[in-house]
Amino acid sequence: MATYKSIRYNTPLSNGSSQVLLQKITASSDSTISFTSGIDSTYKEYLFIYVNLHPSADNKTFLFNVSADGGSNYNVTKTTTHFRAIHGEGGSPATVNYNTSDDIAQGTGFQNLYGGSGADNDQAICGEFHLFNPSDTTFVKHFYGVSQGAHSDNYSINNFVNGYANTTSAINAIQFKFASDNIDTGTISMYGIN
Amino acid sequence: MPRYHNINGIKVQFTAEEETVRDAEEKAWADGQLNRDLLSLRNKRNRLLAETDYLSLSDNTLADNMKTYRQELRDLPTGLDTVEKVANVTWPTKP
Repeated sequence: MATYKSIRYNTPLSNGSSQVLLQKITASSDSTISFTSGIDSTYKEYLFIYVNLHPSADNKTFLFNVSADGGSNYNVTKTTTHFRAIHGEGGSPATVNYNTSDDIAQGTGFQNLYGGSGADNDQAICGEFHLFNPSDTTFVKHFYGVSQGAHSDNYSINNFVNGYANTTSAINAIQFKFASDNIDTGTISMYGIN
Repeated sequence: MPRYHNINGIKVQFTAEEETVRDAEEKAWADGQLNRDLLSLRNKRNRLLAETDYLSLSDNTLADNMKTYRQELRDLPTGLDTVEKVANVTWPTKP
């Protein structure tokens, strides 16, 4: 039997791409969490990973918006879609739905990433949000987010948000918050992807 | 209690103007709770109606208990004018 002491690969395991941690923010009873630096033309994709965000009260909706002026205003026009899969701890409900109240048609308000997060000690939301080519000045800026959370009604809910910031101006800041009350704990990390 | 932004990891206290704006946002959100709950209820109601739509095709005679069930579903949002009423609504039982 042959014994191999090492294996060498001719191609990088990362398939040539790299994911670079640019910043990690830890929430501490904050009303908003914003990234206002590091979003530029360096990367074609920016990834935000949020882990165990816990609201200060029950049934809070997690939101985001982007800025084209470095964070002075979070009011970029967006068109989005939002749907979710729901399953209750007791087996019901078990459904997929599209709520028209959770999408945006050329609006400037904050977009819902997760609706109804529970605030029990063991409840939180996690997810990822991708923003593509934010510094592009030719095309609109596409994004999508997938969030998984423990709903205040003891449901597991998987939210899917897709859309675009309908602007050819560069996007250079992003803000996350609950619709009301604070983000008590949790982290949001921003990565650049080549 | 003052509110804080967390900007790039640095805590920044809300200005008085930002506090006023946030208060208004939170009030508007709270005021919209009934509409959000009603929309969710109607979505579920519509899904339940769709599940029995096939029974009301023209080549089928709808049983009375199914007629009643479907009418109760249609009538469900009537009179639901508070968040508490929506939360405590009694759904009809499918025959």
